Amino acid sequence: MSTSEIQYGTLDLMVLKTLAGMGPLHGYGIARRIEQAAEGSLALNQGTIYPALLRLEQKGWIKSDWGTSENNRRARFYAITATGKRHLAAEADNWARTVAIVNRLLEVE
Amino acid sequence: VIVRTFFSRLLDIVLRRSREDRLSEEVQSHLDLLADDFIAKGMSPGEARLAARKAFGGVDQVKERYRDQRGLPFLDQLMQDLGFAGRLLRRDPLLVIAAALSLAIGIGASTTVFTIANTLLLRGPEGMKDGDALVDISGRDEDGGFGIEPISFPNFLDVRERATMLADVCAYDVMAQPMSLIGDGAQAGAERVFGNTVTPNYFGVLGVEPAVGRLFDPNEPSATVVISHRFWSQRFNRDPQVIGRPVKVNGQAYTVAGVAAETFHGTSLIATDVWLAVNLTPEPTSFLARRELRWGVARGRLKPGVSAAMAGAEVDAIGHALAREYPDQNRQFGLRLAAASVIPGNLAVPIAGVMSLIFGFVSLVLAVACANLAGLLLARAGTRRHEIALRLALGAGRRRLVRQLLTETLALFALGGALGVALARALTSAIVALMPALPVPVDMTFPLDARVLAFTAALSLVAAIVCGLVPALESAKADVISTLKNDGPAASRKNRLRHGFVVVQVAASIVLVVGAGLFTRALQKAALTEPGFDARNIELAELDLGLGGYTHLTGPSFATRITERVGAMPGVQMVTLAATLPTTGHMRLGVTLPGSAAPAGRASLNADWNAVAPGYFATLRIPLVEGRDFSSADLAGAQEVAIVSEAAARRFWPGERALGKFLQVSTFQVRRGSPQDVRTLLVVGVAGDVRPGNGGAPRALVYLPLQQQYVARLTVVARSASSARLAGAIRGAVTSLDPGVPILSSQTLEQSASLSRLPQRIAAIVSSSLGLVSLLLAMLGLYGVIAYAVAQRTREIGIRIALGAAPRAVIAMVLRVGIALVVLGSAIGAGVAAAAGSALPKVLAGFPPLEVPTFAVTIALFAATGLAACYVPARRAASVDPVATLRND
Repeated sequence: MSTSEIQYGTLDLMVLKTLAGMGPLHGYGIARRIEQAAEGSLALNQGTIYPALLRLEQKGWIKSDWGTSENNRRARFYAITATGKRHLAAEADNWARTVAIVNRLLEVE
Repeated sequence: VIVRTFFSRLLDIVLRRSREDRLSEEVQSHLDLLADDFIAKGMSPGEARLAARKAFGGVDQVKERYRDQRGLPFLDQLMQDLGFAGRLLRRDPLLVIAAALSLAIGIGASTTVFTIANTLLLRGPEGMKDGDALVDISGRDEDGGFGIEPISFPNFLDVRERATMLADVCAYDVMAQPMSLIGDGAQAGAERVFGNTVTPNYFGVLGVEPAVGRLFDPNEPSATVVISHRFWSQRFNRDPQVIGRPVKVNGQAYTVAGVAAETFHGTSLIATDVWLAVNLTPEPTSFLARRELRWGVARGRLKPGVSAAMAGAEVDAIGHALAREYPDQNRQFGLRLAAASVIPGNLAVPIAGVMSLIFGFVSLVLAVACANLAGLLLARAGTRRHEIALRLALGAGRRRLVRQLLTETLALFALGGALGVALARALTSAIVALMPALPVPVDMTFPLDARVLAFTAALSLVAAIVCGLVPALESAKADVISTLKNDGPAASRKNRLRHGFVVVQVAASIVLVVGAGLFTRALQKAALTEPGFDARNIELAELDLGLGGYTHLTGPSFATRITERVGAMPGVQMVTLAATLPTTGHMRLGVTLPGSAAPAGRASLNADWNAVAPGYFATLRIPLVEGRDFSSADLAGAQEVAIVSEAAARRFWPGERALGKFLQVSTFQVRRGSPQDVRTLLVVGVAGDVRPGNGGAPRALVYLPLQQQYVARLTVVARSASSARLAGAIRGAVTSLDPGVPILSSQTLEQSASLSRLPQRIAAIVSSSLGLVSLLLAMLGLYGVIAYAVAQRTREIGIRIALGAAPRAVIAMVLRVGIALVVLGSAIGAGVAAAAGSALPKVLAGFPPLEVPTFAVTIALFAATGLAACYVPARRAASVDPVATLRND
């Protein structure tokens, strides 16, 4: 299976899920975690998560603050907010339904 | 979420700098972390950094996308546009100065006029609690006149009792009246104050609080006065001990109850010093008890939830009921209700008329300024064609470009508007500074409140869009290819537009200059008119004998003693007394002629009247054409006599001799006298006509002897033997006779005459300066258009000269364009001015009539200045060097 481009809108969900599961993380940590989860099947330009992080922060789903990384570098840490968690739950459901529908359609073929 | 996103983005714009830093730092830390991992995997630091870059992707692309996500594109672009506009305008300081100054004049003048209108007409009453709920109730003037129509005290009491929509109603004398005030202690002697007689519930209804002491008690008939904060400060030095002190007002003893709040200036334009309370149940013998005698204006407070319209309908019904119930006393009676205002009753209508006339003038100046700026912007668009075409070629959207150009115009107008507000501030304080010249103290400030600022901002915005949009749309239409190839087509449409702006400017300026000319001519004529009397070396001193306690029984003999005493003072050549003077205007009178029918539809002939002492005609040097002057023998009880002016003689007995005829008069002093008297007077003399101060036609005038027609309010008229003032001598003489009679005002007859011409002088000054400014602006605009046209046609002119055109022919060619514009603009302007000039005198009293010479002079002025404005660029055209221009291509 070749590496695929990340689909529009799915990055937000991935970021939220990562933050919900792992607690506060810096941008690099989030990008690394997503790459790990994709097990090499996703071509992610790590930089692209920054516009996504800004978008999520503007919507109030995540918040950020400066902190120190595990190897003592100053980095900005992101954490999911309560509204972010609610949004994630709703979107995850949505996603599961969408995937199920698409899958069923593909199976029929 | 949307709102939240919006604010978050808005914040981004404000914090742009720090957000940019944050992004850089974050990206750097990401790269460092990545590199750390690669190093841990065994790479060298150099390799690790490269690998990190690769894994991260394009740093700048990410940053760019990040920036797009951040902020609001609209606001962002606006900031960009503003920054760009600022840079461009800085590069073109001449344009900025010319535009900002002309706009400042236009906007400043409009703002000044609006500020005054706002204060007089729009703003609610000051210093009163919840002023929006206050309404004025006055009589309805069935004749459609513009005067204040007061209502009588009994009618007020009935309104107060019957009105269910009003929480309470108070009443007050229409205007504060001059009164004499004698304090206790050191400062003996009467002084002139302005006092307003009000009902005891006055302060309660208006919601005014005392600054010190207390105000009137509505339930208790009081012998107290309330003084204004201003008077308290000026006269009593803010001494709190003033409460409870005795004062004598008009000879009656009162005690000072309190001082009204500082913000409260009373209910009339005249600054009130003292308020006196009348009893709500007047003595039956008092004039207040008489229903037919009009007295004051009522002001009521609406009950919560009641609209002025509802209360107005109720008051209207009460008015009809009162007219039915008292048909004799309430003849032609009606009531009107209006929002409370410093301008009482119907007077707001003529004031609004005058204000809109001035506003029209000022708007024309603003229109000229805007047209001028639009012309400038169009010219500038011409020089910027290349830049704009380049930007279009590089992919700029036309809408974006138009917005950019409009932003530049808006920036100019914002600058002009700010300067205009500053100018308006200066102008209004200049007006306030001129007010002490008025004969009565006027309490007035012209604050630049939120409404004024909103007006100015809206005006600037609308004007900016109106005059910026056309040039902006025009420039954005630039044809990219041909412009960049540097052979722009003759921008004929653009030229037509610029020509249109010049025509508008010339037309508007013509209207203004013609108006200025009319006012100036009227003023000149007024000054040149032979007034019919000799105003030089005449000293006037106004007295009110009623303030000293004199009645119609004791007053006449006291008046005679004043003339004797003043006449004996050194330097006094002649002295007399008069109720009114030609410069202040006379009172009205209905005259009937025994044995002849009154004119159709009218009860009587209208005339002016004056009561004078013997020697009036000699003192003022008014010729007695026939008969004799009044003498000391014309006393009460003797045959009642009159002297008529020549105009009156012609009017009453055309073609006949007036001497020895009889006339009947009635209704003297409507307010205090008895209206039923009809008296038959023998004409013993005919005097020369006197003209009112404004140079109008002489009016029919009937003089009555003061001893037979006593008037308490008198003016001592003294002719000085030299040019020395007599004010001190008259004051000394009056005080030595009775210190309780104050001198109400003291001035020379020449001062009084110039004061009566003040409105015309102001009109002439204002319209002349506006006319001059707009003439200058229009000529600048014309110059700009012609100069620009010449610059555009340099090549064509060069070819013409190379082909042998004479310089004279070139000059003529350029001048033709300019002259055509001036002629067209003049024709339109003269047409508008003629239409307005023939319509306005009918609507507005005092507007001077149309005059052909004024038009001729104005048009000649424009022709001359227009020619001058075109000649400079025309000469430049003629001196074009054909070789240089042709080689240039």
